[in-house]
Amino acid sequence: MTAEQGPDGTGIEVEGLVREFKNGPRAVDGIELRVEAGEIYGFLGPNGAGKSTTVLMLTTLLPPTAGTARVAGFDIVREGPRVRASIGAALQEAALDPLLTAREHMRLQTALHGLGKSERQVRGQELLERVGLSQAADRKVGGYSGGMKRRLDLALALAHRPRILFLDEPTTGLDIQSRTALWEEVARLAAEEGVTVFLTTQYLEEADTLAGRVGIIDHGHIVAEGTPAALKAEIGRPTVEAVPREAGERGRLAAVLERFGPGAAASPRAAAARLEGGESQLADVVRALDSEGIAIETLQLHAPSLDDVFLAKTGRSLEGAEEEEQEETEVAAETVDAG
Amino acid sequence: MSAAAAGPRVARFRDVALAVAWRSVHNFLSNPAFLVPAIVFPLFFFVAFAGGLSSISGVPGFDFPSGYTAFQFVFVLLQSAAFGGVFTGFAMARDFEIGFANRYLLAAGDRRGIIGGYALAALTRALITWTILTAIALAAGMEVGGNGVDVFGLFGLAVLTNLAATLWAAGVAMRVRSIQGGPLMQFPVFLTLFLTPVYVPLGLLSGWIHAVASVNPVTALLEAGRGFIAGEPAVIALAFAIAFALPILFAFWARGGLKRAEAAG
Repeated sequence: MTAEQGPDGTGIEVEGLVREFKNGPRAVDGIELRVEAGEIYGFLGPNGAGKSTTVLMLTTLLPPTAGTARVAGFDIVREGPRVRASIGAALQEAALDPLLTAREHMRLQTALHGLGKSERQVRGQELLERVGLSQAADRKVGGYSGGMKRRLDLALALAHRPRILFLDEPTTGLDIQSRTALWEEVARLAAEEGVTVFLTTQYLEEADTLAGRVGIIDHGHIVAEGTPAALKAEIGRPTVEAVPREAGERGRLAAVLERFGPGAAASPRAAAARLEGGESQLADVVRALDSEGIAIETLQLHAPSLDDVFLAKTGRSLEGAEEEEQEETEVAAETVDAG
Repeated sequence: MSAAAAGPRVARFRDVALAVAWRSVHNFLSNPAFLVPAIVFPLFFFVAFAGGLSSISGVPGFDFPSGYTAFQFVFVLLQSAAFGGVFTGFAMARDFEIGFANRYLLAAGDRRGIIGGYALAALTRALITWTILTAIALAAGMEVGGNGVDVFGLFGLAVLTNLAATLWAAGVAMRVRSIQGGPLMQFPVFLTLFLTPVYVPLGLLSGWIHAVASVNPVTALLEAGRGFIAGEPAVIALAFAIAFALPILFAFWARGGLKRAEAAG
C-alpha cells in the first residue's frame, strides 16, 4: 500500500482546531491554517506553545476537542485510516525499538503499511541508503547516536511514500552536521518529490532556512503567519550595533545612534538602534560617528530575525519565552510536590 | 458490508497483526532475558508441583487415573497460557510507555490489528513454551490416557485461555499505558488461577476455598483439561462455553482500551 491521494489534493486545512486537556489550559486554542501541496510549512514556537499537540491532532494520534481539519483531503476525525495512509510522521521522541536493527525497523514499518514482500526489501534498502544508514543497517538501534536515530525515524516515516510529512522538532538535540544533513534531505523531499512538509521547530534558523511559510504559535494561538521574508519585513527595521574603541564613549555613541531610530538591545559594551530609514541609513550613521570623532571597534547591521517577529507579536523574545515556559513548568512541579 | 469492502479491511487487519506479531516474537526469541523466564518459570512450577508434591497422589480420595504428573501438567499448561497473555500485556504497556505504540497507531490501517498482533505473538510464545513443557512432562513419564481428540481439546482450552488473558491484559495496558499497570494485569489472573483445585481434586478441598473454587469459572477449564488428559472427558460443554465466552468478553474490554488509548493520544 502506498499513500492515498485525497479528493482535495495533498495539503492541510485547519479550521478552529481546539484541544483542551482535563483540568488544564487549552493547549491549542482555535487555530486556523492552510498548507499547500508541496510546501514546507514551519510551525515555530517555544516549548508548550501547542506545536506538538497540533501535530498529534493532525496525525490522528489525538482527537481534537473542537474544530475541523483535513489532511490530504481527508477529515482527521471521520477518515483517520485514510489520513494515516497519506502521511508520514517523525514525532518528537523517535519511536524506535532499541532491540531491533535499522533494517528490521524498515521491515516492520513497510509490513505495517502492507507493502508486498519483495517491495519491502527494496524500499527499505533504498531509504536506508538515502539517509546514510546502510553501513549501520544491521546494528541494533540501541547503540545509535541521536542523529542516526533521527535519520532512521525520517526514513521510516517515508516507507509508504507519503504525500505529507509531519516532522515534530526533528533536529532538537542534534549536532550541526546532523542537523544540516536532515535539512538537506527535507528540502530535497519537497523540491524533488513534491512532499508537503509540516515542520515544527523551536529553532529560528531552521524555520528561516527550510520553510516557505512560517506560522508562529504562542499559548495555543497562531500569532503570525507568512513567508519568513514577509514576516520580517512586516515588523522589520534593521538594527545597527556598534562597539566604541573607548568604553567611556558608549554614552555618546548611543546618543548618535538614536538620531536614526529608537535604541535597541545590545551586548554590554555596545549600543544599538533600530534604523527608521532602513539599511540605506548605514552610510549616514558612519558619517555621523566620524563627524563626532567617535572611534569604532566594530559596527554591525542586523537584519530583522524571526525572533524579532516573535518579540513584536508576543512582547517577548523566543528565548525569553523558552525560559518563561521552563519556569512555569518548574513552578507547577513544585506546586504538585508541595501539594 | 460487501465482500469487496471486507477484503481490504481484512487485509489491513492481517498486515498490521502479522507485523506486530513478528516484532514481538522476534524480540522474544532473540533476547534471552525474555525467552528464558517464559520457559523456565512454567518448568519450575511443573517440577516443583509435580515432583515436590507427588506424595499427594497417595492421599485418600485422590483418584486421578493418569497420576499426579498429568494432574499438575494441566494446571501448569493453563497457568503458562494465562501468564503468557499477561506478559504480553506487559510488553504492550512498555510500548506505550516508551512511545513505540505511536508507531503502530500511526501506521496501522486497522488499529484493531495491533491487538490481534499482540495476541498472535502471545500464542506463538505459548506454543514454544508448551512444546518444551510437554516434551519434558512426557520424558518424566507423564501418562496420557486421552486420545488425539482429547489432547486437541486440552490444547484448545489452553489456546483460548491464552487469548482471554492476552485480551484482558491488553485492555489494562491500553488504559494505563505504563508498565506500572503490570500488577493490575497480573493480580486478578494470579488470584483466579490459584483459587481453583490446584494441588488436589475439588472434592478434597474444604471450607471457603472449596466454595470459591466451586464457582470459579477456571475450575471448569481445569477439570475439563484433566478429564481430557485422563481420557475421561468431563464438564466439556461448560468448559468450552467459558473458554469461548472469556475471549469474547475481553475482546470488548480490549477494544475499549484501544479507544481510550486513541483518545488519550
